[in-house]
Amino acid sequence: MIRILKDLSKRILNSLFGRKEDIKLGFYGPPNAGKTSLANVICKDWTGEDIGKVSDVPHETRHVQVKEKVEIDYKGKKLTFKIADTPGIATKVDYEDFLKYKMNKGTAKKRAKEATQGIIESIKWLDDMDAIIVVLDASQNPYSQVNITVVGNIVARKKPVLIVGNKIDLRKANLKKIEAAFPDYEVVGISARKKKNMDDFYEALFRLAKKI
Amino acid sequence: MPNQCIHCSEIYGDGSEEVLKGCSKCGSRFFFYISEDKLKKIRESSEEEIKLSSEEKRQIEEDVRDIVGIKEDEAPIVMDFESVKVLKPGKYLLDIQNLFSKERPLVYKLEDGKYIVDLVASLNRSDEKTI
Repeated sequence: MIRILKDLSKRILNSLFGRKEDIKLGFYGPPNAGKTSLANVICKDWTGEDIGKVSDVPHETRHVQVKEKVEIDYKGKKLTFKIADTPGIATKVDYEDFLKYKMNKGTAKKRAKEATQGIIESIKWLDDMDAIIVVLDASQNPYSQVNITVVGNIVARKKPVLIVGNKIDLRKANLKKIEAAFPDYEVVGISARKKKNMDDFYEALFRLAKKI
Repeated sequence: MPNQCIHCSEIYGDGSEEVLKGCSKCGSRFFFYISEDKLKKIRESSEEEIKLSSEEKRQIEEDVRDIVGIKEDEAPIVMDFESVKVLKPGKYLLDIQNLFSKERPLVYKLEDGKYIVDLVASLNRSDEKTI
């Protein structure tokens, strides 16, 4: 109840006096969808610095990474974000999956433990976010338990959500499948690696910010 | 609910002080809750041994303490519910719906259907009841 009243008064104040606080924008999704790659493109574009390291090995991001004061000036409109890039959410973390990346057993087990910790941390951060970007790999089946649970829980918390289908440069990519899986939400297709369709993304991001 | 010591499999009744002070057989403070049904089954089948090597148990305890963020080795952990299962060191299964759910505490479970950890409740207990 107190939270609802707080949110309401924040919204009224924001609409009366313009937004004073930075928008807390969380990047959520399964591992290896490209959350850090997309957050890096945004941070590099507007602050000149990356937010984190990317890798082909799943669970590269194992702690929430934050970039403060990311001021985006897009087509004459300005918004300042606090960007939180979160570890990928999974229902299973198995060190054996890391062994094929030429990792030794000890390192792989440590990575699995940290990835599990990271998932718990990601979920804990959700309540603190104003809006969420769910990043999905457009070349993968969107109807996964993780995707549905993540989107469902964000919506249940009444957080505005934008779904990004990343990796549309891949031949297997199928954005329509993501749109069909989540018909109630805006879906934007991009390639963070090739910086493709970033204009569409920024347009959608500003529309998302209006919903806060 | 009764508790079972993860290291030596000793079983203690509900509210036993060994859970706070440490297992009287091996001194461990790492337990899981065990339902009455499960207890009955264990007694009937006499399969009370936990099927993990002592090195695996030690590693799991270390990992769980690390994940939970409990620095003191002395703090007892009682595991319950099923949000995060630790099958073996480095192998985890997560029930993310449970983790998202604010009503349910965050938990760990060792080996299918048997060994369980309660994260939030353990932490709360250390604040509220000085377990």
